[in-house]
Order: sequence, then C-alpha cells, then structure tokens
Amino acid sequence: MTAPRPYALLAEITYRCPLHCPYCSNPTQARNNDQLATDEWKRVIREAADLGVLQIGFSGGEPLARRDLPDLVRAAREANLYTNLITSGIGLDDERVHRLRDAGLDSIQLSFQSDESDLSDEIAGARAHQHKLDAAARIRAAGIPLSLNFVIHRRNIDRLPQMIDLAETLEAERVELANVQFYGWAFLNRAGLLPTREQVTRAREVATAAKARLAGKIDIFYVLPDYYEVRPKPCLNGWGQRYLTINPIGDVLPCPTASSAIPDLRFENVRAHALDWIWRESESFNRFRGTEWMPEPCQSCPQREIDFGGCRCQAALLTGNAANTDPVCELSPNRAIVDAVLHDINSAAEQACGWTYRVNPMTPSHLESDAVLG
Amino acid sequence: MTFTMPIPQIADAAQPRLAKGVRLQTDSATGKSVLLLPEGIVELNETAHEILARCDGRTLREIVQALAEEYDSNLAALATDVRETLADLQQRKLIELT
Repeated sequence: MTAPRPYALLAEITYRCPLHCPYCSNPTQARNNDQLATDEWKRVIREAADLGVLQIGFSGGEPLARRDLPDLVRAAREANLYTNLITSGIGLDDERVHRLRDAGLDSIQLSFQSDESDLSDEIAGARAHQHKLDAAARIRAAGIPLSLNFVIHRRNIDRLPQMIDLAETLEAERVELANVQFYGWAFLNRAGLLPTREQVTRAREVATAAKARLAGKIDIFYVLPDYYEVRPKPCLNGWGQRYLTINPIGDVLPCPTASSAIPDLRFENVRAHALDWIWRESESFNRFRGTEWMPEPCQSCPQREIDFGGCRCQAALLTGNAANTDPVCELSPNRAIVDAVLHDINSAAEQACGWTYRVNPMTPSHLESDAVLG
Repeated sequence: MTFTMPIPQIADAAQPRLAKGVRLQTDSATGKSVLLLPEGIVELNETAHEILARCDGRTLREIVQALAEEYDSNLAALATDVRETLADLQQRKLIELT
C-alpha cells in the first residue's frame, strides 16, 4: 500500500540513563555500542524533515547523557522541526539549559516518579527527585515551556492529587498522568506495577476533576490503563502512519517497543538505507500498515480504522503473535489472558511488591566519556 | 426558536500572540499552515491562518482593519469572525491575549 507521510520522529539517542525505573519501556536486552555519531544523526534529521516530519522528540535513555545534544537540537531547528526534549532532568545544569535554549529547543517534558523524595527515589532507584525540582526551576527561569510526565502505577497511583499539586507549584503548562503500559521492563515487572480496579476508578475521578478545575491553566492528559479498558488503544494512530522511532544504533522502528516485543520483525538501519526507503518500502513498516493484515474480529469490525486493532507489541507479548487482535479488546478471542492478569492482581490479598530495576545496557569503556551524569 | 451564538468579548485593544511553545509554520508536505505545539500539530483553515499571520503585536482592531482592506469585506462581519476564531484559539491555549 502507499505510505502516508510521517509527522513525528522519536530520536532515542542513547539507552544510557542514571535512573533505574522498573517501568521503563526500553528493551530489557538492549545494545548500546556502535551508537550513531553526531553527523549521522544530523543527516537522519534532515532525511526525516524531507520525508514530511514536523516534530522531533529527543529521548532515550537519558538524552542529556550525550554531550552533542545541543548540536542535534540546532540541526533539527535548521531543518524546521519542532524540538521537544524528553528528560529525567538529571544533568540539566544552568549551562546546559542555556545551551539548549540557544540552540532553539521548543519544549521540555520532565519526568517525575512521584510528588515527594522518598517514594520517587525508591521508584527511580536513584537520588533524583531533588535534582528534578531544581531542573524544573531552571527550565522555568530559561523560559522554556514545561510539561511534566508522571508514570502511574500501583505504588504511586493513590498520590495523583499530590502530583497535580506539584505540577501547579512548578507552574507547568501541561501534565501527563500516564498509567504504565506494559512493555520492556514494565512487562517484566507487571505484577508489581499493575494497579487494582479500585485504584484505577478513583484515579480516573481525580484526573477528571483536576482537568475541569485547571482548564485554561494546565492541560491535563490522563492516559488510561489499557488492561482495564474493553476496547484497545489506537496505538500509534496505525502502524507506519504518523510516527517513526530511531534507536541509538540507528535501527528504524515503527514503534519504540517493537524491537523487543516482536522478535521476528527485522528492522532496517539508517547506515544501510535511506530513511525514505525504510519508511515507504521496508517490510517492518509495511507488515501492519493499513487494514489488509487484520484477522477477524478486526477485519470486519466497524472500529477497525478507529483503533487499528490496538497494539501490535501488546498482541505479541500477550499472545505470541503480533498479528492477533490486541487482547485488551473484549471481542478478542484472547481477552481471557488479560482478565486472568487482572483477576490475580485484584484478588491477591497481598500483591507482589518487588520489582527488578532497569540496568543500563553494556557499554564499551571508550564510550563512557559520553556521560556527563553526576 | 433560534439560537444565537454570543460574540466573544475580546477588546479591540487586545494584542493576540501565539502562546508560549507554539510555532506557526508552513507544512512543506501539504503547503498548508500548521501550529506546532509540544504534543501535537493543529492544521489551520485559511481564516485562522490569515489572522495568525497578523498576530505580530498588532491589536485586534488593527488586525480586523488590515484584513478588511485586503479582502474588501464588511468590517462588522469580519470583526465577528476574527473574534470567534481568536476565542476558539485562546480556549485551546494556542494564543494569549495581552
């Protein structure tokens, strides 16, 4: 089928990160050696703009772990892209925030693990919360628009009101309260992260009330916990329709979690092919593009161009076949898999509270000098 | 029974500007005008584009006059259109009024 033009590129410029959040969506088995060099990223950014991309998100890992980040932001601005930095804030000192602003950075999304130090630092597996508060103040002082992102799970979901208060205190323009989605490390740690039905119901009420109360002041986006939904999320707005991700080693992914969730998909690399070809012609981008690949009940479903059959990675992780209907859908023959998970979480008197912290991928020692993290 | 939309109350002397973090740009793939924001893209219709292209420190009155001269149209009707468009953009936090 004919490829549409993409709108946004997620540039995962490194998998290194000073935090160890157990819900990280990065692959649990990542390769970080042979990362794209500055000039390679600059070329890829220009190729993306030529393809129609209008926005770039610099992410990771922690993108501040690369010293050349301001150069990449400048290259993106020169290519007329809207530039967003998705960061933990660790390593964002005064000099760096000014260099990024001067390079033309349009906006920063700062992650928080919760509203206060003890729980936040426990979740991050690092002393990070105070650094984040400092980073928020620096971003405000530099005049860069600030969004906060809270990943919500069983251990912090009851603190939603306090998180919203923090967003008000920090004068964020926008706050994302995103229930954890189960990929990468989060999939591994699902038993310790999935909230109960009661928690989810309460959180939805809190978010709805806050949205109304803060309308016109802070934009609040509440991302639903999809296991508790009856229809799947319209993942990516359709595979290979609007978004592409490039990982640290230059593999181009239709979705950031696809490399770990769908092992039988082969991804192309920007060192071997033009981005235009990868987007339009490669097997990985075309496999689930459009509606022809869909099985029943999706194929004849009136919702098929609304939810696109849900998430390919979720189908792969839960059913072993990425071409199945997302099992979150109540019409999926595999919905029982999701229900069994929910049943376990909601019936256990004492749920599992342990989790495995994310670790950084093995990095050859000559790359350690890239790190600017304290 | 008829319903009439109230005309939004925006002062003639108000200066509309793009909100912080919002950029007005031409989408080279379509030639259309778009607003780029932290988490999204808003495609503009021609009216919104013509108005926003003039939100450069000019007051609402000046913007209406400039459009009326350029398009040779009725000042009162145009003022209503401009107010409605700006009110909509303001509600979506895409512009600020000073």
